[in-house]
Amino acid sequence: MARGREGDPRSADRHGEASRDTVAARALEFLEPLYATALRLTRNAADAEDLVQDTFVKALRFSDRFTPGTNLKAWLYTILLNTWRNRRRDAAREAVDIDSPRVEEAASGGEGPAALDTPEQILLRATVRDDLQAALDTLPEAFREAVWLRDVEEFTYAEIAEMVGIPIGTVMSRISRGRRLLYERLSLSRGQADAEGRLTR
Amino acid sequence: MMNDDCRRTAERLSSYVDNELPAGEQADVERHLNACPPCRTAATHESGARAIVREQAHRLTDIPLPPGLRTRCEALAREHAQASAPSVFSSRRFAPLTAVMTLVVGFLLFSLATHRSDTVLAAQLTADHAKCFRFFAKNASSDADARRVEQMLQTDYGWDLHVPPSSSANGVRLRGARRCLYADGSLPHIMYDVGGHDVSLFVLDGVTRPAADLVSLGHRSRIWMAGRRTYVLVWPVAAGDMTVAARYVREEAR
Repeated sequence: MARGREGDPRSADRHGEASRDTVAARALEFLEPLYATALRLTRNAADAEDLVQDTFVKALRFSDRFTPGTNLKAWLYTILLNTWRNRRRDAAREAVDIDSPRVEEAASGGEGPAALDTPEQILLRATVRDDLQAALDTLPEAFREAVWLRDVEEFTYAEIAEMVGIPIGTVMSRISRGRRLLYERLSLSRGQADAEGRLTR
Repeated sequence: MMNDDCRRTAERLSSYVDNELPAGEQADVERHLNACPPCRTAATHESGARAIVREQAHRLTDIPLPPGLRTRCEALAREHAQASAPSVFSSRRFAPLTAVMTLVVGFLLFSLATHRSDTVLAAQLTADHAKCFRFFAKNASSDADARRVEQMLQTDYGWDLHVPPSSSANGVRLRGARRCLYADGSLPHIMYDVGGHDVSLFVLDGVTRPAADLVSLGHRSRIWMAGRRTYVLVWPVAAGDMTVAARYVREEAR
């Protein structure tokens, strides 16, 4: 697992130049997944490009804090998520408490549309990548992030908890709610999905 | 209706769907799901979405990088490798920076742009020059209005610049401007047409570095300083003599 967060003085011990150069070289291998993730987080190509470059620059600058032999990908994602969160905090837009029961209600589908399709039907429709991407993009950010890290990047609950800086129970509940909400979004027609948009914000 | 059983099930639902519960708990959850239709529906939905996303994961991540991003990162990595070698400035000037978590982009741009070599600077800007013209100025047939470009740079990015306008006497046509990513900051990139050739003016705000004139990747980069800014004019070597246009831009830019 990655050692420490940015700015954590405990993790400031020095490693050799060789490992630093390896971090730089190996980090280049993760540009594509980092960019795909940045794009889903920001939902905007220019912001995603900025975010990945920022992440890369920080990875280089803090490369002596990376512990060789640990998960470099998780370490890079931690930087990416921290950087994004800092920017978002500056923008201070997320007003809804994402882990509140109210959001749970929205995600539970209990009072939702009665006739949902079967997973098979939805799967058929979602084989167009853009549809799934669009549905993911309608999720509240915390849910989208959790589902993405778990089901696309296949990080463990513990890794996600450390990356995002939340308790593991919250990670699991976000994944669960996020998946169920995504299922609903996929089962709704585009027009309905827009009408339901109020649930997400 | 949510009772305690439902709540306990909800807490374990993602682990259940991910098949990560110990066998005993897995059976507990299953028992509840068999008895409770709403929870069963939730589990079906959750595992359905999980299957769909995982099925499509490779396509969701199969997204090409924006042009130039990899090149920029590679250049940064090379530069970092050089700076990490026993060097005069990396430990002295960059070490205090690493202690600061919130980074002031302007300052970083300043330090990076100040310390990187002319060659790296010229190569980077030449790459941006080619990229921006290819993707952003391809279809700009008419001249751009300098005042409007200035307003755009001001309102969109907060840059206060005087943009040299088109000048038929000097053979210079303003095509437009955009923001270019540079190191971990960004900088204004003003695009011109001179005699049918693409010419770029980059402005590094708050950066001072000595004047230089060099050729990189088939392009000439002329670097000069005025006020607290460094300007870099980039044009293809094949464009031939650019003396008149270059002098005009240099006198106008501020």
